[in-house]
Amino acid sequence: MTFADAVFALCAAVCTVSAVAAVSRRNPVYSVVYMLPFFVGMTMLFVLLQAPFVAAVQMIIYGGAILVLFLFVLMLINLKPEELRDVFEGLPWALAAFAAAALAGVLAVFSRAGVSEEQRTAFKSATAAVTSAAGAEFGSVASLGGPLFKQFLVPFELVSVLIVVAILGAVLLSKKRV
Amino acid sequence: MFSLSNCLILAGIIFATGAWGVLARRNVLVMLISVELMLNAVNLVFVSFARAHTNMAPQTLQPQAGESGQLCALFVIAIAAAEAAVGLAIVIALFRNRQTVDTREMRTLQQ
Repeated sequence: MTFADAVFALCAAVCTVSAVAAVSRRNPVYSVVYMLPFFVGMTMLFVLLQAPFVAAVQMIIYGGAILVLFLFVLMLINLKPEELRDVFEGLPWALAAFAAAALAGVLAVFSRAGVSEEQRTAFKSATAAVTSAAGAEFGSVASLGGPLFKQFLVPFELVSVLIVVAILGAVLLSKKRV
Repeated sequence: MFSLSNCLILAGIIFATGAWGVLARRNVLVMLISVELMLNAVNLVFVSFARAHTNMAPQTLQPQAGESGQLCALFVIAIAAAEAAVGLAIVIALFRNRQTVDTREMRTLQQ
């Protein structure tokens, strides 16, 4: 068992446990708090997968912005005690859990079968010093910035428009009198 | 242990957990959190395949096969942030009108 294996096992355990805990806690405050170890585990996985920039963005946007936004709204709407006792009552929770387990099983089978031999070996042989087409180290800001501002320029600009629209919409929706 | 298959299996488990949350929970906030879980699982798949395609670029004749995957993950994160902002604004508007975030109480169209 190499170092990467150990880190992967640790991250997988942390992510799985905290994801299940976030979904199954009755108090939504605990759900939000359990998302923090989940995001930290995902960040470590991204570092392990040679995506340092994606990992940094994940930690800043998810661990910083989105988590605080969730906590803020949770405190703002001031849940009454009886709503904190929210139990599973949509589908019966056992049925939903069974459906989710079946989905996980199907995804696991397909993700084992759907990986080609070249992808397997390429994944294994990718080392830390892989240089990308842009000449920079793979996953670095430089290697991502080139394609982002060349072939992905239109989606990039569209995302910025989308975020402006989303912010304006959020302000408008949560204003007291429209 | 640390292989492409295992990364995808982990993503599948996280996605299924998120789907479980959306199906079983009736608190809108927890449902939104579950959606974030599913988006994170998809990001993990993107980044895993990006890493697998790093060394395959000469074979697939796509010069930036690996970078494309990571950029897709970045776009997913950006759109997830916008989605969370709008979703939470809707939750606030809903709570202001109905004094609840329980989907069992939101059946005015049915009644």
